[in-house]
Amino acid sequence: MSEWTRDRRRDAHRSQHDERRSGPSQWSHCRKRGIDGSLRANREAEGCDRENGRHTDNSYRHSDNRHSSFTTPESAGPVSRCGRQADWGSQVEDDEMRRGVHRDMQRYRRRILGAEVTQRERKTSSGSSGSCDSREGENIETDEAVLLRRQKQINYGKNTLAYDRYIKEVPKHMRQPGVHPKTPNKFRKYSRRSWDQQIKLWKVKLHAWDPPTEDGRDNLLDNIEELGLDDVMDIELDFPTLSDSQNAPAALSTHSLSLEGEDCLGTPVKIQKTETTAESDTV
Amino acid sequence: MENSTEDYRIQSFDLDTQVLLKTALKDPSAVNLEKVSNIIVDQSLKDQVFSKEAGRICYTIVQAEAKQSNGNVFRRNLLNRLQQEFKSREETRARSLQEWVCYVTFICNIFDYLKVNNMPMVALVHPVYDCLMRLAQPDALMNEEEVDCLVLQLHRIGEQLEKVNGPRMDELFFLLRDGFLLQEGLTSMARLLLLEILEFRAGGWMLSSTAHKYYYSEIAD
Repeated sequence: MSEWTRDRRRDAHRSQHDERRSGPSQWSHCRKRGIDGSLRANREAEGCDRENGRHTDNSYRHSDNRHSSFTTPESAGPVSRCGRQADWGSQVEDDEMRRGVHRDMQRYRRRILGAEVTQRERKTSSGSSGSCDSREGENIETDEAVLLRRQKQINYGKNTLAYDRYIKEVPKHMRQPGVHPKTPNKFRKYSRRSWDQQIKLWKVKLHAWDPPTEDGRDNLLDNIEELGLDDVMDIELDFPTLSDSQNAPAALSTHSLSLEGEDCLGTPVKIQKTETTAESDTV
Repeated sequence: MENSTEDYRIQSFDLDTQVLLKTALKDPSAVNLEKVSNIIVDQSLKDQVFSKEAGRICYTIVQAEAKQSNGNVFRRNLLNRLQQEFKSREETRARSLQEWVCYVTFICNIFDYLKVNNMPMVALVHPVYDCLMRLAQPDALMNEEEVDCLVLQLHRIGEQLEKVNGPRMDELFFLLRDGFLLQEGLTSMARLLLLEILEFRAGGWMLSSTAHKYYYSEIAD
């Protein structure tokens, strides 16, 4: 157990030093480890302690082990504190959003769970164990503060004329991964930076549906140029967290089958599939 | 049937306001919802009958706005105005008992009608309790008007309030019990109302038929 956590930690280390050199799958794996919100402080700590031996390892193990339960109290605190300060109108809106997010999360879990059952059936027939299942559970972002922040960002994006036009002009079944904007999946674990990038890219794509104006086209181009290559790299590397599992192809096909009849164009994975359905409830 | 009561309530406004409110109920985006919310609050603070029914009108407007534009301008303004009034409640009470009673009736009515995902609005729980606690203070128990308001609110929303915050309901009822048992100078009507609400809660927010007969049959005679 401790052995495992230590490895995990080292992975996180490596990710900081070899970011650009390690292969995509390793990178995204490390990255995923580095994420869970608590992180910035941890990273700084890592910077100065990393040469030390066992002692530091223990302290790390502590903060690392805590990550799932750790986020819960922290999330409840700030949110309600903010709520109390705000006016009643905002409090009720926050409350409404929080309940919405919890409801979405239950739906999402049910969906994931349903998908996992199918996946497990597939796997037992081929003899491997359910390691991927537990992984899927771990990948769900449960920190309420994070979910609320993300939901707010999504709401901003959806509360636009462009979005209204987009959903009207391109019906769900016509949307193609990589071509059409796709709302980022708030329930996946992502680093803050990666998430913000996804939101940014999503919004940029949505701008293509801005109501026509004379310089509308230029606007879009400007936005794209601003982005720069690094941003794009960042985001794309972050996606294939699942593709590094050996059973990826099987998982893919079962997922697309079990979740929706949509055709899935190869790579883009079950995350995106589930997300489509999860998001549809919140629209 | 609901519409007819709304119409009836709306009759008490001048013509322009009637048109404004009726539009707000049907086509909220066509009107200034901030203005509408202020009109409703102002009227509630003046008119006790209206303050008992305003929740339904507010509910209808909130629903209409959410459906039409997914907006909540009306609710936000309504709640913030309520909050503003809440902050100055002691002055209001000192200035006009009637306005104070209207305020409590109105906020309780809003608590009763406006829900978030079918749950009471958490933001209002403590304020509503604060108002009711204020009505349960010794000086307020001396005013039949305030006692009457207090027990009416508890009949309507007591059970919901207790579900969202039981300890505060206990606290409130300690005050009521002590007031009933220890306080000198209560009118007999106030004592009767207090006794009834104590029994009402003790019976799980219900009156047994015997109790009902005890409290109400005399009046009929």
